Amino acid sequence: MRFLGVGAALVLSLAAPSALLAQPDGRLIPPRSPRNASYSIDVRLDPASREMTGSEVVTWRNVTAKPASELRFHLYWNAWRNDQSTWQRERKLARAAPGRVNRPGDWARMDVTSVRLTGNDPADLTPQLQFIAPDDGNPDDRTVLQARLPQPVAPGGTATIAVAWTAHVPRTFARTGAIGHYFFLAQWFPKLGVLEDAGWNCHQFHANTEFFSDYGVYDVRMTVPNAWPVGATGVVRERRDNADGTTTHRYYQEDVHDFAWTTSPDSLERTARFEHPTLPPVEMRLLLRPDHADQADRHFEATRAALKYYGEWFGPYPYGHITIVDPAFQSGSSGMEYPTLFTGGSRLFAPEHSDDPEDVVVHEAGHQFFYGIVGNNEFENAWMDEGLNTFGEARVLMAWYSPMYLQQRYFGGFIPYVLRDVPIDREIYWNRFAGYRRTPKLDPQSNPSYRYSPGGNVTTYNKTALWLNTLERWLGWPAVQRTLSTYFDRWQFKHPKPDDFFAIANEAAGRDLTPFFDEVYRGSNVFDYGIQELRSDREGDGYRTVVIVRRYGEAIFPIDVRVAFTGGEPAVEHWDGRDRWRMYTYVRPHRAVSAVADPDRVLLLDVNLTNNSKTLAPLDRLGPTAANRWSFRWLIWLEDCLLSWSALV
Amino acid sequence: MSPIAAWRDGLRRVANAPFVLVCVWLMTTLVGLPLALVVRSEITQHLGTSLASESAATGVNHEWMQEFADQASGLGATLRPTVLGFAAVLDNLSAFVDDTARPIAIVGAACAYILLWLFVAGGIIDRYARDRATGVNGFFAASGVFFFRFLRLGLLMLAAYGLLFGYVHAWLFDDIYPRLTREVDVERTAFLIRAGLYLAFGLVLGAGNLVFDYAKVRAVVEDRRSALGAFSSGLRFVRRNVGAAVSLYLLDLALFAVTLAVYAFVAPGTGSSARMWAGVAVGQLYILARLWVKLVFWASETALFQGRLAHAGYVAAPLPAWPDSPAAEALARQP
Repeated sequence: MRFLGVGAALVLSLAAPSALLAQPDGRLIPPRSPRNASYSIDVRLDPASREMTGSEVVTWRNVTAKPASELRFHLYWNAWRNDQSTWQRERKLARAAPGRVNRPGDWARMDVTSVRLTGNDPADLTPQLQFIAPDDGNPDDRTVLQARLPQPVAPGGTATIAVAWTAHVPRTFARTGAIGHYFFLAQWFPKLGVLEDAGWNCHQFHANTEFFSDYGVYDVRMTVPNAWPVGATGVVRERRDNADGTTTHRYYQEDVHDFAWTTSPDSLERTARFEHPTLPPVEMRLLLRPDHADQADRHFEATRAALKYYGEWFGPYPYGHITIVDPAFQSGSSGMEYPTLFTGGSRLFAPEHSDDPEDVVVHEAGHQFFYGIVGNNEFENAWMDEGLNTFGEARVLMAWYSPMYLQQRYFGGFIPYVLRDVPIDREIYWNRFAGYRRTPKLDPQSNPSYRYSPGGNVTTYNKTALWLNTLERWLGWPAVQRTLSTYFDRWQFKHPKPDDFFAIANEAAGRDLTPFFDEVYRGSNVFDYGIQELRSDREGDGYRTVVIVRRYGEAIFPIDVRVAFTGGEPAVEHWDGRDRWRMYTYVRPHRAVSAVADPDRVLLLDVNLTNNSKTLAPLDRLGPTAANRWSFRWLIWLEDCLLSWSALV
Repeated sequence: MSPIAAWRDGLRRVANAPFVLVCVWLMTTLVGLPLALVVRSEITQHLGTSLASESAATGVNHEWMQEFADQASGLGATLRPTVLGFAAVLDNLSAFVDDTARPIAIVGAACAYILLWLFVAGGIIDRYARDRATGVNGFFAASGVFFFRFLRLGLLMLAAYGLLFGYVHAWLFDDIYPRLTREVDVERTAFLIRAGLYLAFGLVLGAGNLVFDYAKVRAVVEDRRSALGAFSSGLRFVRRNVGAAVSLYLLDLALFAVTLAVYAFVAPGTGSSARMWAGVAVGQLYILARLWVKLVFWASETALFQGRLAHAGYVAAPLPAWPDSPAAEALARQP
C-alpha cells in the first residue's frame, strides 16, 4: 500500500461497485465489452486418437463503419500441419527446433468441413472457402481462412455463422497439444479475426507472436472421458454424464476474447479464495500435477499477489474466478495466459526464495489485466501486454517476495541451487536487463511484432519493462501508476493502439513525452552515457576540477551528473544529454573524489554501467581489490574444474 | 589385506608424505594462477577507476558481474555467480557428468594439468609404494622414469574416456534419455531416469578409472614398461579381487562425498572485503582436501595391491639396486 498514489486511490474507489458485476455463473452485469464475436461451441475429444470434432455457432456483429464482404478465420493449428507453414519457416529462420515432432501423429491439423450462414438469409459458404496469406503470401500457409459473403454485412449488422471442423491434437507446439494423458487445448477452434475500419486484422500465425480477437460471450460444451476433470475459461455451468462413458462439461464466460481448456485424469484440484478490503473477491481453482502437490499454496499465494497489486495499482479483476493450471512436465504448455485461465510452470525441486513457480505464476496472472481485460493486438503490438506485464510482474515480485535469490540449475536442470549471496532485484533481474543489454538494437519497437527479428522477445518484454521502470524513476511512480491505471480504465475490453497509450502517458505525466517514446519505441538506438574524464589539479589554494561526460550511444535522455569532493557539497548538474559531450569545470578548495553520470540510475536502459563513473584516490584502490577478490574466487572454481577432469587420470 | 585395512593404510601413507600433497597443491595452483591473473587483469581493465569497483569489492554486484561477463571473451566470460562457494562444485560436477563444453583456454589448462599429473603420478605412486621418504631426487627420478610409460597409458585412457564421453555419454543422454522420457509427463520419473543413466555412466566410468588406477599401480610397483601390459594386469587384478577393489573404491568415493558435504556447509559466500582472504583460504583448504582424497585413492589402491599380490613372495627377486622397483626393494628387505 505504500506505493499507492492519487491514481491508485481513484482505482480503489472504482473497485467497490465492480465487485457487484461478477456473477458465479460467468455473467458480467452490465456487459463490459461490445460482445461482437460470441461463440457457442460443442467439441468432443478422443484422447486415444487425439482427434477432436467440433461445431460452433458464431454470432458476429460488424462494429466498424464499413460493410464487410467477407469473413476471415484463424485456423492456428494448421501452423503445425507440416514444416511449410509461415510459423515453421520463421522457426527455421531463428534456427529453432520445429517442435517435438517425432512421429506423423505429432503434427496437428484443423480441417473446416463446413461454413454456413444461418438466420434470415442462410447460405453455404463452404464452396467459396480459401486459404489466404495476407502477411507473406506463403501459399503453403493454411492459418487464415477466407469466406466470401453473398451479401455484405452492413455496419452494425449481424451475421450468424455455423462452422464444423475436425482437428488433430499435436504433440505440443506453442503451448498447445498433448503429452501422455495431459491435454492443453488453446487456439483450438476456428476463430474470427478482428474487423477494423481498415479491413480484416487477421494475421497468419507467426512464430514470434500471439493472438488478437474480439470480445464476446463463450458458451462451450466439451465432451471428454468420465473422470477426466476439465479446466477452462469461465465457470462450469453443467456436467452431464453420457451413455458412452463420456462427460460433457459446459463452461460459460461473458466478455472474454478467447477460450482455452485442459483435461487430464491426473490433475489434483485445489481451491482457495482471494479477498481484499476494496477489491472484488476471486475464487481460485488450481489444477495441480501430483508431483507438485506440496506447492499448491505457493501457486495461490503468487496469484493473490498479482490480483492484489495489479488490482490496487491498475484496476480490479472483474471476473470473480480464475483457474490456474500447473502443466505436465514436458507438455510445453507452461507460462501462457488465456482469459480467466493461465498456466504456471513449476519444478519437482523448487526451493523457497527462488523464482519457481512464483515468477511465472505472477506473470501469467498479471496477463489477465494486460491481454485479458485490455485486449491489445498481440500480433502487432506485443509489447503492450508482454512488456507492460513484465514491468508489473517485476514490481509485484519485489513488493511481495523480496528477498529472492539467484537460482542456478544443475544436472540436466533438475537440481536447483539457490545462491544466497546473490539477491535478485527488480531493476536488473526481473526487468530482464541482461538480455536487453546483449541485443539492444534488434528492432525498433514500433515495427509490427510479428516482423521482429528472431530473438525479438527482448524488444517486446525486456525493453518495455526497462523503459517503463525508467519512466518510473524519472517521473515518479504516481505518474506511471496514473498512466497505467488510466490506460486500464479507458481501454478495458477494447483494443488500444500504441498511440492511445502514449497519449495517456503524456496526459498523466503532464508533459510531452514524445522525445522519450521516439527513442524507446520508435527507435532502436542504444543508451550509453559515461564519464570520459575526471581531473582535479591543484590551482592556487584550491583545485581545478574538470569533468567530461560523454554520450557514447546514439539515444538521448536527460541525465544528472554528480561530482563529489573531499569536502563541501557535491555538485549536481542537469544535462539534457543531447550533445555528444559536456564539460563541467569547478574551482573549489577541495579535490574531486568522483564523478557519476546518472547517479540515481534513472536510465535503466544504459547498457554500460561501469563507465558511468570515475573516481580518484583513495577509492581507485578498490578496483584491484575487487579484481583480487573475484579472480581468487574464480581460481577456486577453476581448480575445482581442473580437479574434476583430472580425477580420471 | 582387507579393503578397510588398505584404506587405513592409504590414509597413513598419505599422511606420512605431506610433501606430495603440498607438491600437487602447488602444481594445481601454478596451473590455475596464470589464468586467474588473466581474469584479474580483465577485471581491473574493465573496472578501471569506476565506482563499480566499490560494490564489486565489497559484495556481489550482480549487474556488474553480468556486464563484465557479457563484455569479456574467453576466460572472463566464465566469471558468473556460479563460481561462488559450493555452487562452483555443483557447476563443475554437473558440467562433468553432463559433458558440458568449457572455453578453449580452460580446456587447454586442463590438458596441461592432466599432463602434469601423468608426470608426477609415477613419483607419487612410487613414494606410496615404497612407504618411505624418497627425497626430491627420488621423487622426480621416479616421475621421469614413469612419465613416458604413463603417457602411453594416457593414450589408452584418452581412447577409453574419449569413447565414453564422445559416444557412450552422447548415446545415453542425447539418444536414450530423450527416447525414454519423450512421453514422460511427470518430472519425478524423468529425474529418476536421468539419475539412473548417471549411475550407469558413472559405473562404466568408475570401472574404467579403477582399472587404470591399478594399471598405474602395477606399472610402478612391478616396474612395467608396457602400457598395454600394465592395463591388462590392472584389469586382471581388479577381476580377481573385484570385491576388495570395488569396496575400497567405494570407501574412497565416500571420502570424496564427505569432503564435498563438509565444503557445502563451510563454503564461503562473498562476505565483506575483510573476509575475502578468509574465504580464499577456506577455498584453498577445500582444494587441498580434494587433492588429499585423490592421493588417498592412489595410496590405498597401492596398499591393497601390495597387500594382496605384490608381496615379497610374489615377484621374482631382481637385484635390489635403487632405483629399481619397490617390489625389488621389498625383496631386499626380506630377512
